[in-house]
Amino acid sequence: MIHKHINLFLLATENLLRHRTKTVVVCLCIIAILSPFITAIAISEGIRAQSLVSVKEGADLYIIFDEFGRNAAIPLKYLDEIKKIFGVTKAIPRIIGRGFLQNKLAVIVGINKEDIPKSITCISGRIFENANEVVVGHELKEHFKLQIGDQFSMRGQQRKNFTVVGIFSSDSSIWGSSMILMSFNDAGELFGKQGVATDIQIHSLPGHNSEIATDLYDILQNEPYRLQDKQMIQLYFKKGFMLKEGIFTALYTVAFALGIPAILVASGFGLSERKREIGIMKATGWNTLEVLELISFEQLLISLLGATIAIVLSILWVKLFNGAFIAQFFIAEIPMLAKFTLPARFLPLPCLLSFFFAFILTMVGSIYSSWKASTESPVISMK
Amino acid sequence: MIKTDHLSKYYSSHSHHEVRAIRDITLEITKNSFVTFKGPSGSGKTTLLNVIGTLDRPTEGKVFMYDEDITSFSDIALSRLRREKIGFIFQDFHLIPRLTSWENVSYPLIPLGVDPKKRFERARLLLERVELGDRLDHIPEELSGGQQQRVAIARALVNDPEIIIADEPTSNIDEETGEHMLKLLTELKNNGATILVATHDARFEKVADRVFKLKNGRIE
Repeated sequence: MIHKHINLFLLATENLLRHRTKTVVVCLCIIAILSPFITAIAISEGIRAQSLVSVKEGADLYIIFDEFGRNAAIPLKYLDEIKKIFGVTKAIPRIIGRGFLQNKLAVIVGINKEDIPKSITCISGRIFENANEVVVGHELKEHFKLQIGDQFSMRGQQRKNFTVVGIFSSDSSIWGSSMILMSFNDAGELFGKQGVATDIQIHSLPGHNSEIATDLYDILQNEPYRLQDKQMIQLYFKKGFMLKEGIFTALYTVAFALGIPAILVASGFGLSERKREIGIMKATGWNTLEVLELISFEQLLISLLGATIAIVLSILWVKLFNGAFIAQFFIAEIPMLAKFTLPARFLPLPCLLSFFFAFILTMVGSIYSSWKASTESPVISMK
Repeated sequence: MIKTDHLSKYYSSHSHHEVRAIRDITLEITKNSFVTFKGPSGSGKTTLLNVIGTLDRPTEGKVFMYDEDITSFSDIALSRLRREKIGFIFQDFHLIPRLTSWENVSYPLIPLGVDPKKRFERARLLLERVELGDRLDHIPEELSGGQQQRVAIARALVNDPEIIIADEPTSNIDEETGEHMLKLLTELKNNGATILVATHDARFEKVADRVFKLKNGRIE
């Protein structure tokens, strides 16, 4: 019995080779539809994973002030009191802002040298030690051809001159690539805000967050503050990505809707010849199930082929072209070809779903006509 | 062996007029007989053979084969009957254009699970029998009409059928191939097969055990 199925599978393979043009056209349609989608999913998953890792490795609590429902700076006068709360192991004030370096938007992070996370490493140079020294991300380095020792000026509330003393690794996070890291005081001077931080990161002993929150309430009870823990930050990230994925999916659905008819048409190429062939098969003793099994094997093989090529092309798209055209949907304000290594994760489930989807599409294009031809009298099908 | 009981087949034409291809045909064909159906074009010969050969279902009446009412058979049962008992030779050959001679001949063996080597061997023997041993790898368009018909004959014989149904087998081939075919069918009949042929060819009447004349869908 197994020999019959092997025979049908081999015949399906031969049929795909015999109908090369049709096979190539259907494959191209599958690739054109699936490749961008697989690439987008991989980029989205990569960014999401990197974001969640950075959140996981970050602080346990983040405290900021709230003005008119928006984030506002928190005065440093509370820092000492916060550090004294039982369970707090470290309280780190930061200034995170944005500024233009000539025409390029950069993320400016001001933090005390001793509070710099260990995960931040330099591919060349060193971390800042003195005033007006900065470390820049790989993308900025590439864009402005910056070298260690180069100087540049930036204007926030006031103009300041800085000296580049280090460069981030190109494999650092997507945010790090356009980041300028400087001392907390330098950032305060640049933005003209002394005595405040954009947030205070609180590292705590395990299980102490609620007690710390109660103590913070006592300290800041008359102030409009907002306290966020890791879970909340993770939730923001997830929501943000769902929105971006949603926008991409909406745009993609339009392209997809145009691609589906192409697959259906391509799958149905040579329908009259196929109908006649099915009539001959039936006349010579094939039954309907055998005919449909053969057709299903053909669609299975062509879907497998198309989806595999689509996955390979997606990997190349990410590796060689850094997800050009698609990365922009997920990362704001990056050029068409991002200058940092794009984080991408090719998970098995989306790849399997792609194959399954291709199979369904090709089956839809062929199974009904084949079923109809094989259930009609052979005399009619052979005409 | 084969019986029909008040067999009729009607078609709806494009002009919505009903075409009565065969009407109220009752006949009996005994095992191992050579039967021909003759009549003018449109007399219903092909339709009758198609219905007897299970390629088409009758509108009315019944067909019995081996004392079983095959008109009530399911699609799968009819396929099994065709696969095990019946070989068809069509007027237009009905070969699959992209397949070679041996692949066309062995095509019915694929769902039987016969492995490719055995299929090739079987096809080769049959093609040699119809004197096409040197055309194993030719596709139909590389063969003459007579050669294509011989491939079709080889295909009809691939499952050792007990019943061979041939529809105008000599109408598209030359005289010599026609003679060869007659000889082959006679030989098959002598080996125990039952032969049903729709034909205008007078040579077949000479060897037939019985000749049915059809006119306007009825047996005269």
